[in-house]
Amino acid sequence: MSTSALLEARGLVKTFPGVRALDRVDLTCRPGRVHALLGENGAGKSTIVRILTGNMAPDEGEILLEGRPVRFHDPRDALALGITAVYQELTVLPEMSVLDNVLLGQERTRRGIVRRAEQRQVAREVLAKVGLADLALNARAETLSLANQQLVEIARALARRTRLLILDEPSAVLSGDKLQALFDVVRDVARQGVGVIYISHRLEEVSALADDITVLRDGRDVSSGVAADYDVMRIIREMVGRDVDTVFPPLAEPGQEIVLKVRGLVPGGGRADAVPIDLDVRAGEIVSVAGLVGSGRSRLLRTLAGAQPRDAGTVEVAGRRVRGTVRDAVAAGIALVPEERKTDGLVLPLSVRANTTLASLGSVTSWGWLSPGRERDAFSIEQRRLQIQTSGPDQGTWQLSGGNQQKIVLAKWLRTRPKVLLLDEPTRGIDIGAKTEIYRIIRELAAAGMAVVVVSSDLPEVTGLAHRVVVCRQGQVVGELSGPDIAEEKIMNLALGVREVPA
Amino acid sequence: MTAIAATQGVQARRWSLANAARSGLAAWVIVAFLVLGVTLRDAGGFWAPSNIANVLTATVVLGLVALGQHLVVLTGGIDLSVGSMATLSSLLTAILINGYPIRTLPVVFGMVLLGALVGAGHGLLVSRMGLAPFVVTLATFYLLQGVAFMISTTPTGQVTSALADIGLRHTGPIPWSLPILLIAALIVGAALRATAFGRHIYAVGGDQAAARSNGVPVSRTIVLAYASGSALAALAGVVLAARATVGSPTAGQGLELSAITVVVVGGTSLLGGRGSLVGTLGGVTLLALVESSFTLLQLPATLTDLIRGIVILAAAAIFMTRNRR
Repeated sequence: MSTSALLEARGLVKTFPGVRALDRVDLTCRPGRVHALLGENGAGKSTIVRILTGNMAPDEGEILLEGRPVRFHDPRDALALGITAVYQELTVLPEMSVLDNVLLGQERTRRGIVRRAEQRQVAREVLAKVGLADLALNARAETLSLANQQLVEIARALARRTRLLILDEPSAVLSGDKLQALFDVVRDVARQGVGVIYISHRLEEVSALADDITVLRDGRDVSSGVAADYDVMRIIREMVGRDVDTVFPPLAEPGQEIVLKVRGLVPGGGRADAVPIDLDVRAGEIVSVAGLVGSGRSRLLRTLAGAQPRDAGTVEVAGRRVRGTVRDAVAAGIALVPEERKTDGLVLPLSVRANTTLASLGSVTSWGWLSPGRERDAFSIEQRRLQIQTSGPDQGTWQLSGGNQQKIVLAKWLRTRPKVLLLDEPTRGIDIGAKTEIYRIIRELAAAGMAVVVVSSDLPEVTGLAHRVVVCRQGQVVGELSGPDIAEEKIMNLALGVREVPA
Repeated sequence: MTAIAATQGVQARRWSLANAARSGLAAWVIVAFLVLGVTLRDAGGFWAPSNIANVLTATVVLGLVALGQHLVVLTGGIDLSVGSMATLSSLLTAILINGYPIRTLPVVFGMVLLGALVGAGHGLLVSRMGLAPFVVTLATFYLLQGVAFMISTTPTGQVTSALADIGLRHTGPIPWSLPILLIAALIVGAALRATAFGRHIYAVGGDQAAARSNGVPVSRTIVLAYASGSALAALAGVVLAARATVGSPTAGQGLELSAITVVVVGGTSLLGGRGSLVGTLGGVTLLALVESSFTLLQLPATLTDLIRGIVILAAAAIFMTRNRR
């Protein structure tokens, strides 16, 4: 640790409406070392990346590059100083060739004219480093697999003169050889004296690659040090920063009445050999649907809500048959809080009041005319019930934090008085405080007799929230756990298809 | 080449109607059919050097404006002001030259410079202030036309006979003004294909945020595209003045919509980032041909707008098939 700092961020503060994304964060990167930046979703990792790359200006704080303060007004400024990033969202341009993508923004030119031979040579070199030596340079990027697009993106960063390389979730779409190629690249780059900031959710990767670790939680740097001082358990403890038990309020006993009855359901668009799904959810019961991304969990929810056609099967709500349309599902009392709350759940430019009443306009109109007074009353009832923090009923929905936006989506559907509440990733991108409140609300709704089905990728959420866990794999229900059987390890084994070794 | 690379090559080259439309082939196929049809009806009339010269003359003004529009649309923008820009430039050309040969070159360069300045203004308002291109250029569409009417409400001024010759005369089927378009097309084509500016135009139109994160000078690229577009429109205005020998305050009216038409018909996406210059030039030829064929086939000229509408709808339908995939 004797090497001097390559980049030092001091006291970074960034506030978004309703959320303090970064709260006096310090970060020090040294040349030739891989610095892992860890934290849950919404902990502030991506905000740091955006600030260090000049995509966003911090409200407070300073950045020192080799001891000298620097200020970025544009990503170009950061790039010019040797700070290169591979972003979590792909920035590959689908219509452009592999060659043009690799050299985007760093075209090799003489008097403005692109030097093709030199470009091809550079592209070949860097693509070979990421294991894509055989890629056709003229192929349009959209014809590549997601993994190869990610590697092209990394190759692009390697073509630049870089002092600090930031990799934001570079491994999310990689596996096998390609993942190995990424590791080799990271080690190779660090060996040449480049500082690396590595962000990943996969903790095994972090322990394999990292020299230093900084853990963020709710916008604060809660822990920082040499990687050797951390084991996976410590990392998780720092990331979560609390006992999981305290987050989840007590669970009430479910009633006896079966509210949601699903028989032989085959969601449309799945595999031809899909096994029909049976599912009963009682009044007051919370059922978690667990499984890997792409295992068919969201498809199941969307099918139940009529948003996606079903190939076979019946759905009953409190004894009433539900046809496979959204209209009929809503009429029967099924409400779906979708995964993409900003695009599917809310009309962001509208006021919170308008969003709250959007699905139940009939109750706030007379003779077809909206009554603003009744709308405001309706909103304030929900605001009190869900503790929504706004400056008033006419505040723009886009100004709220993720947690409060999610509460508006919930409020909108609660106003339709649903019997069955379907929640798809209800706490994604929401800070821990708001998460706890959403859990409380879900528990209260169940206690009041609603049948609740929750899809989540957040394992503590899956295990802590529900009475019962249903596990999906490849579009099928592969197992069910309840009571004391609910454990993260058992869920993962089912989700991955790992057989438990008999004792 | 390994198997991976080979399959990707096949995928990239896989033929489809949409791909043909995208590569700009569709417009030329329609051109070919039109030429065939007109030849069958009246071969002598159509292939007469003077008729060919007429068609080609019609491509020059539209082509210059369309080249500029092509650049702007590729960045994901649109320029509604190019017709008014051509009008103003044509009027000023005739008035400022007013029959003095010595003034010709300075005035022509002055007009192109004026266009570039107006376009740079558009680019700055769009990229720095974040105003919508549609709104900015709608404003200047009226503004520039208004300035033209302030200068004169009737045709006025006088170009030199040399300039008029360039505008009007032809050698066999080749109009003297055609090289202006050809040279401009070559420059724009080369810029798009072989310069960093060209790559940046596609990148900015394809995904502005991605372009920005990768260090593409987004603002500079947009300013340059609009400046080139308006400069080309101003040059088109000079050709308009040469052809009319006088300046008219209505000379370029409607050119902006014609230019957008040919860019779209040529397969360029109005969302930006995708399009071929060959297609736009095909669209220019198509429109010039449609208009001259009407007189040749003795169809009522009032049908031109109807045909334009049908052609645009047809083009849109072809691109929809791609977007749905």
